[in-house]
Amino acid sequence: MLVVPRRASLIGWVGSTDHKRIGVRVATYAFGFFLLSGAFALVMRTELARPGLQVVSENTYNELFTMHGSGMFFLVMAPLALALGMYFVPLQIGASDIAWPRLALIGDWLIPLGGVTMFSGFLTDHGAAKAGWTAFAPLSDIDRSPGYGMDLWIFGGLLATAGVLLLAISVLTTIVRFRAPGMTMLRLPVFTWSMVATCLLVITSFPALIVALSLLFVDRHFSGVYEGASGPVLYQHLFWFYGHPVVYVIFFPFIGAVAEVVAVFSRRRFFGYHALVLSLLVFAALSMSVWAHHMFATGRVTNQYFALTSTILLVPAGVEYFDLIGTMIGGSILLSSAMLFAVGFIVLFLIGGLTGIIVASPPLDYHVHDTYFVVGHFHYTIFAGSLFGFFAAVYYWYPKVTGRMLRERLGKLQFVLYFLGANLTFFPMLVSGYEGMPRRVADYENIHDLSLMNMLSTIGAFTIALGTLVFLWNLRVSSRKPVPAGNDPWQGHTLEWWTTSPPPPHNFDSLPPVRSYSPLYDRRLGES
Amino acid sequence: MAGALAIADTRSQFTDLFSVYQWLTVVVAGIVFGLVLFALVRYRRRGNEYPRGKDKHTVAESIYALVLTAIAITLVTLTFRTEDKTDAVAANGGVRVDIVAFQWQWRFGYPDYGKTVLGTTEHVPTMVLPVGTVVRFDGISRDVIHSFWVPAARFKRDEFPKRHTKFDLRFDRVGTYIGRCAEFCGLRHTNMDFYVRVVPRDAFQRWVKS
Repeated sequence: MLVVPRRASLIGWVGSTDHKRIGVRVATYAFGFFLLSGAFALVMRTELARPGLQVVSENTYNELFTMHGSGMFFLVMAPLALALGMYFVPLQIGASDIAWPRLALIGDWLIPLGGVTMFSGFLTDHGAAKAGWTAFAPLSDIDRSPGYGMDLWIFGGLLATAGVLLLAISVLTTIVRFRAPGMTMLRLPVFTWSMVATCLLVITSFPALIVALSLLFVDRHFSGVYEGASGPVLYQHLFWFYGHPVVYVIFFPFIGAVAEVVAVFSRRRFFGYHALVLSLLVFAALSMSVWAHHMFATGRVTNQYFALTSTILLVPAGVEYFDLIGTMIGGSILLSSAMLFAVGFIVLFLIGGLTGIIVASPPLDYHVHDTYFVVGHFHYTIFAGSLFGFFAAVYYWYPKVTGRMLRERLGKLQFVLYFLGANLTFFPMLVSGYEGMPRRVADYENIHDLSLMNMLSTIGAFTIALGTLVFLWNLRVSSRKPVPAGNDPWQGHTLEWWTTSPPPPHNFDSLPPVRSYSPLYDRRLGES
Repeated sequence: MAGALAIADTRSQFTDLFSVYQWLTVVVAGIVFGLVLFALVRYRRRGNEYPRGKDKHTVAESIYALVLTAIAITLVTLTFRTEDKTDAVAANGGVRVDIVAFQWQWRFGYPDYGKTVLGTTEHVPTMVLPVGTVVRFDGISRDVIHSFWVPAARFKRDEFPKRHTKFDLRFDRVGTYIGRCAEFCGLRHTNMDFYVRVVPRDAFQRWVKS
């Protein structure tokens, strides 16, 4: 994935403030953490394949799901979201650089530093953190979670969260300040608009986690901040005030990328642009008001209010679907690997969204909360949704980043394995949760269909792993036997396809006139 | 028993509401999957032409957004109605049961009868309840957050340290149901199970006096 120019020095690579290098670096180590956290999931699925404890102890299992969730949120999905923005936002708006590049450079390196800190917990006496990625007080206090693993988790989370926050500040400022002549806010490409919504959410919600985790450290070592009768609920409010917006942080950029892919491979200008922009902003605003729907079962929040705000989210989400499908209908659709992953995103994220409407209803959530139903629901959104969107972005933009094409046949093979694997893994989870399987358990009784459902999930997880190997093989083949991409292999609509692949350090030698949100499409229609 | 009618069987409440959501889910998924498939087949690329079409349809999209809003309001209204019933607390409860959750067991107390059931590693605790009677639960945790979940009742409620959680339930069918801790609570969370055995009222009276 790395594109190191010849004679590049190590310092030049590590310390470069070029937004493209920052983007590639963040994406590369985030993908490394994806492989690691994904491997943890495979160990867990192996343990759960059959009832009883066969592979790991309960203690190890608790470490595995804690680090799987923490890794995927803090070190994989949020950094990947910002990495895409870091690389492509300046290119899409015709900028030569980002705002505050040194700030972004710090953010860039805080994330892997946080990751190494977090995972180094495995080297300590008590092992890594094992209080879940949510680390609810008082389970995460010094008596119930002794040892440095928990502290390293706190510091790792703080560093990675601060890193993503700095990247978001840089990207948002770039959008506000560095747009090319003619690139008004309402001519920003759809992906760039999705990054506006993303960065706004990062800036407003990530500080809440920094506060929650800092107080957790104080609670553990100095005074019991969360000790009182309302302490545990206070922690949950602080945590979910970050923890819910973050799931939209790891959704918006990917639906933005999917929108670009759908438009380009349907050969149409994105349909309903203004409605989409409005829906993204409404979505972002509403999503700051839904956090306590994670707390319905506590009986200590105003369930009705959070049920209302959470359910009404279906309106902006529905508008986005209208625009995506509206772009495809009447288009001229080429089912490339990128488009396949985009269609996969549309279809599978819908299952995550619809099950999300179910868990937004308190009387229904009373049953399925903290069960595998919820695990299935959010994996449909984050894996089958956002990560499919990420791969759509990878197949779409890899030629721009490297100047080389990925192999389409391998891409389609990966898509088939991912599509089958995701459904095989996550649909049975909806069933097993409904039938009474709680989340975060290393063992279960063979009642109802739990044995069958878990076996299916395990087979699905390994199918996904096989798909990931196909992707790695694709990267290897494309770098061993490069097929040059040219500037614009897909006949793109936006400015990043105007410049060379990979773009020069200053991004553009020239710029076409910008008169809409799809300037290259305008030009092509003018020519044809 | 007084107040019994005010408290609904949570399972039937859940089932009624869930069936509405489930039906909606299936219909919406069917429409969207159908449209995507239609677009992929009907509008697959054949030549090298650039399609010409409208870039937006504001009227259709506005009407559609209004329909979505109506759906959301309907769902929320149904949810509120159901929640009023599942969260209802009877004026005067029937049987009182105290729940004490701790790492990693349960203790169930019957203050009116001076009876206590305590779980041990060898013995999964069984809460015995009379059928068709309001049960007033008063739960607390001794350490971390736990969650009292009876899948068959389609209901759970978290148990916090230093704070009592009160709720009413009614079981309308005789039988033995599994219960679990649903909130991750540390090393042996997996094993923190209990049973709820719902028996006829006279059998319950015999049991509490035994």
